[in-house]
Amino acid sequence: MAVFQIWLASVLYVPAVAEVMRMAFVWPLAESVHFIGLSLLVGTVVLFDLRLLGIARGIPAAAWHRLIRYGLIGFALNAATGLLFLMTEPDQYIYNPSFMLKMAFIATAGLNALSFYFSVGPRLLAPGVPLDAPRTAKVIAAASLTLWMCVIIAGRLLTFYRPFDCAPGEATGLVLLCVPGKPQ
Amino acid sequence: MDPMFRWLETSAFSTWTRESTSVFAYPTFLSAHAIGMGLAVGVCVAVAFHRLGWLPGVPGHELRRWSFVLWFGVLLNAASGVLLLIAYPTKALTNPVFYLKLACIAVGLWLYRAMDRRLEPTTVLDARAGVEGAWPDRSALRRVAVGSLVSWAAAITAGRLLAYTYRRLFVDF
Repeated sequence: MAVFQIWLASVLYVPAVAEVMRMAFVWPLAESVHFIGLSLLVGTVVLFDLRLLGIARGIPAAAWHRLIRYGLIGFALNAATGLLFLMTEPDQYIYNPSFMLKMAFIATAGLNALSFYFSVGPRLLAPGVPLDAPRTAKVIAAASLTLWMCVIIAGRLLTFYRPFDCAPGEATGLVLLCVPGKPQ
Repeated sequence: MDPMFRWLETSAFSTWTRESTSVFAYPTFLSAHAIGMGLAVGVCVAVAFHRLGWLPGVPGHELRRWSFVLWFGVLLNAASGVLLLIAYPTKALTNPVFYLKLACIAVGLWLYRAMDRRLEPTTVLDARAGVEGAWPDRSALRRVAVGSLVSWAAAITAGRLLAYTYRRLFVDF
């Protein structure tokens, strides 16, 4: 694990990107874009999930589903800015248990969304379908709501689990300790 | 103001919020603040997109049913915001960006109310919602929608900049 993480940190670190990101207010502005993307993504996904759970049944699911494409724009913003953070401070993330949890929640939310499109999604999003979603869709929607809340919480907890005391390449594993005896 | 800041900062709750290693202290308040932001902004974005014509087939009056999500998000943000403010009163209240954030939120909510009012009358207008030009003063509605999106983006940006623009962290340094 430690060898893999050290290798990953060295691969992810891009000095040119880090130099730009460390210029005045570039990092804070990238964070702002990350939060705007988060609001767009989570806001739209939550509204669609709540529709599947039975709120505002007068809105056709197919029409409301258009929100998801705007959510995907939010996800693209988040992925792009997230990659910039990783390329600047890889150690702050890949040794951070909260980051690992966040990535796991995002991956699970993605799989959960895929399960919607490969099961009840096509039938539900066709024109002229009943206004009430089937039980399977409601279970998927409830899981999606929970997972995206967990993504937000894990994201906010990143700050509290950073390996502050370690120089680049020194921190390792979930224990957030510096690699003992690593040559300086 | 300094005596009030000092009184708040030295209170047991403020100290616990800042210094506790419990995940239920500052991290929980921050997480609640982010969740509230996602909910509130999500509803405003959906209504603004509808006014911009980007959600065809969605009946306007049905959007009213989402207002409880918006107000729940606002309530969550207000409550968690107050708790975060108690933790670092000097840091926030001596920073002009904090007031800019509050102003942007106020404008965002005011524009939401403006868009919400335009959802009336429901039946007749909804029947014609898909027809370009059927809405009265459609360009004005679009301007309000764009203004709403800009104000929420500005509020989020100001919120993030708070961490980088403060001049005083505590009352004594």
